[in-house]
Amino acid sequence: MDEKVPRSNIIETEIPMGTVHPAALEPYRVRFFVEDEIVQEAEITIGVNHRGIERIMEGLPVEKANALTEKICGICSNSHIWNSCRTAEIGLNIEIPERATYIRVIMGELERLHSHFLYLAHGCEVLSHETFSMRVFYLREIVMELLAMIGGNRVQYGCSVLGGVRPRCDLDEAKLLRLKNDMDAVEEGLTGFVERFLADSVVQSRITGIGVLPQKQAIELAVTGPTLRATGVARDLRTTMFEYDNFDYNVITQPDGDVRSNLVMRALESFESIKIIRQAIANIPEGKVVNKDWEMFDTDLIESYIEVPRGTLYHSYALESGRVRHCVIRTPSMANIGAMQYACIGDQITDAQLCIVQCDPCFTCTDRAIEIIRR
Amino acid sequence: MFENTIITSVLAVIVTVLVCFVISTLLPGIERKYIHARIQQRIGPIVIAPGIMAPIKFMFKENVEISSPVPKLYKSLPIICFIAVLCILISLTPQAYKIPALASLVAIVGFLKVEEICYVLMGALSKSVMSVRMPFPDQIKGAVHNNSNRSFVEDISARRSLRMITYGSFPLYLALFAPVTAARSIFLPDIVAYQQAHGPFLFTVAGGIAAIVFFIGYMIILNEYPFSIIKAKSDVIEGPYMEYAAKYRAVVYLTRGFFMFVLGAIFSVLFIGIPPNILSWGILVNIAVALIFVFMMGIFSAFSPVFTNRQLLPTILGATLLGVLSIVIGLL
Amino acid sequence: MGIKSFSRARAIHVMLVYTGGCNGCDIEIVNSILSPRFDAEQYNVFLTWNPREADVLVVTGPVTHLNRKPLEAIYEAIPNPKLVVAAGSCALMGGVYKNCYGDIQSEEIEGPVENIIPVNAKIPGCAVRPQDVLAGVVSLLPTLLDAD
Repeated sequence: MDEKVPRSNIIETEIPMGTVHPAALEPYRVRFFVEDEIVQEAEITIGVNHRGIERIMEGLPVEKANALTEKICGICSNSHIWNSCRTAEIGLNIEIPERATYIRVIMGELERLHSHFLYLAHGCEVLSHETFSMRVFYLREIVMELLAMIGGNRVQYGCSVLGGVRPRCDLDEAKLLRLKNDMDAVEEGLTGFVERFLADSVVQSRITGIGVLPQKQAIELAVTGPTLRATGVARDLRTTMFEYDNFDYNVITQPDGDVRSNLVMRALESFESIKIIRQAIANIPEGKVVNKDWEMFDTDLIESYIEVPRGTLYHSYALESGRVRHCVIRTPSMANIGAMQYACIGDQITDAQLCIVQCDPCFTCTDRAIEIIRR
Repeated sequence: MFENTIITSVLAVIVTVLVCFVISTLLPGIERKYIHARIQQRIGPIVIAPGIMAPIKFMFKENVEISSPVPKLYKSLPIICFIAVLCILISLTPQAYKIPALASLVAIVGFLKVEEICYVLMGALSKSVMSVRMPFPDQIKGAVHNNSNRSFVEDISARRSLRMITYGSFPLYLALFAPVTAARSIFLPDIVAYQQAHGPFLFTVAGGIAAIVFFIGYMIILNEYPFSIIKAKSDVIEGPYMEYAAKYRAVVYLTRGFFMFVLGAIFSVLFIGIPPNILSWGILVNIAVALIFVFMMGIFSAFSPVFTNRQLLPTILGATLLGVLSIVIGLL
Repeated sequence: MGIKSFSRARAIHVMLVYTGGCNGCDIEIVNSILSPRFDAEQYNVFLTWNPREADVLVVTGPVTHLNRKPLEAIYEAIPNPKLVVAAGSCALMGGVYKNCYGDIQSEEIEGPVENIIPVNAKIPGCAVRPQDVLAGVVSLLPTLLDAD
């Protein structure tokens, strides 16, 4: 099948769900237009979470603005602060010490691990399989403890600063050893879970063939990240990021674009993340972790794209007297969530909730101001 | 002397019902703590919390105005369900065998049907705040389908309950009628007498197959995972029970534990031949059967997701065919 | 201790309402209930998604415009006696979104939860720690036990 099209002429009734709903951990509103429980069209309303972040960043000193971007989202917090610092570093030509790059990569991959585990646990919760969900939450605790050890807080760790990494986040011998042992524990637990999950034929029958997004439509709708790779397109922005130049990892894809592909996709990506973290621990160079010798000057609009657990993240702003101007942040979930309105067509309502969850939506990241006021 | 017998019979029935009720309040807690929580590797609540502490707590809450087109009918439905389950238990006690119309399979099927129809009515009459009534600007300029017909999530639940009545009740009813093939009578005293003479029906081939079908029907009528589509948390939140608060929610909670026990008692009467009789040791067998069923159900439900229509149809069809097989074997 | 307080101490239903924060607090609260490590059920605290069943409402997030009326509707739907717990610095004082700005202040925040519904307990943190959430909910019990 090439394209999923909404069929508006055979709608029997509309079922609205939200803003508070057990299948959604963030406030949003979805209206399913169904005919005999099969979804013919869906409309997802975002903007419920709009807090005006780009507006409050206007005029903030750049280091403060970087710290503020972390509060955009509680799951992908490190991604935002990393990209925000990276934007200024690109614009001001700041050279980051290599040790800092390695620590940033370790934090980025740890965040990918905790985000993918949360996704697996939430997916199992939407399947109403409480036991699997609890098993994954238990496994995720190991990663949360590591994040707390390095950054100081379980959520929102404030690791990256302009010029490198906060000195508190430096990794000494004991921390590196703990990271190494915990990665072994996580890998063991994840292998056990994935084997059990894939062997369970009932769960597999619930997720196979559900929420299929055809590859051609996914590319048209500008889907990015694991959701795109689950339809078979091997596009991973980490291959173009200079931070990942010294690391060896595979870009995982899955062929079908359904819920099963998305779940398996992220489980396999977690194994790759563990691989990257192990390489980082083994090869981390000595040196400083932050570079304080740089000059501030006014710049034009600077852009930075990185690959975060959900896809391509874009930050851009200009600098004027050390303050941020015209900030625009565009998260991957904006396109992914829109594409899920098409992916859930043709499935039943219980499966349609699963379809929306399959793109790993982060509604809190997504609600931005849409208008840019230029002088 | 005639009055004496009636008074002793009535007293015996009342005591039986009370003992069964008290034990049934422990069943949901046992399922939650000793089975689900152990499987999920955590401690879980105390045993009395979901079964009796929660209903008592609900009784002391404020009686809010229920959002429903016919509130009085909606409020009476849990009480009707509770009375239906109570009547099933009374019809199983040996003292009720003197009333042939009550102590027959037809009566039990009738009461179970009342229970199932109540789910449909509850779903149709509940209009909670969690879907359509959530104050959100939906039908505004720029939205699609500005004048579409809107349904509450409980309406989906009512439709699913209707579907479950249509084909989901077959396994339980076929399993209920399987012992008739051996005892050649639909009256409970005859079924019990046959088994006391020839041994429990459970240990025959037809009985063994019918027991499996009974277990599947047991999970379906209790709306337990994996057959809990009418109250699946991921889309209909709580389904038919959404608008119940305070006293009525307490009745809903108590009915669940009580129903678990009574279904175990039905199995004990039809497949083992031991009715719940307070005046003999038979009551212990009933309690044991109820506990074993709760254990098995807890283990099954902890390891499976909710079945949607795609999985329900083949599973229930398979169970129905097994039920037919057991009846055919019994007739031969 | 009467049967009323005895039963109220042994079965507490908590409902979570998220009103537009960064979702960190929500994940930590769900963590504290759904994770076998913290397991709120061992304290007889059950998670529910139905306001008619809830006793304690846990609110996270600074209340954004589109979330104000749903929060009020859910609060009205809970039968008395009910308690409200505001969890996280967004729910307590609007968090960074209300208090931190460059040249233009955000106009999207309706303010801390106190401005909209009465609050009985406050749990600080950004994000709250699961241990603090459990401690906060359990500390409310004495108020709940003897209320009408």
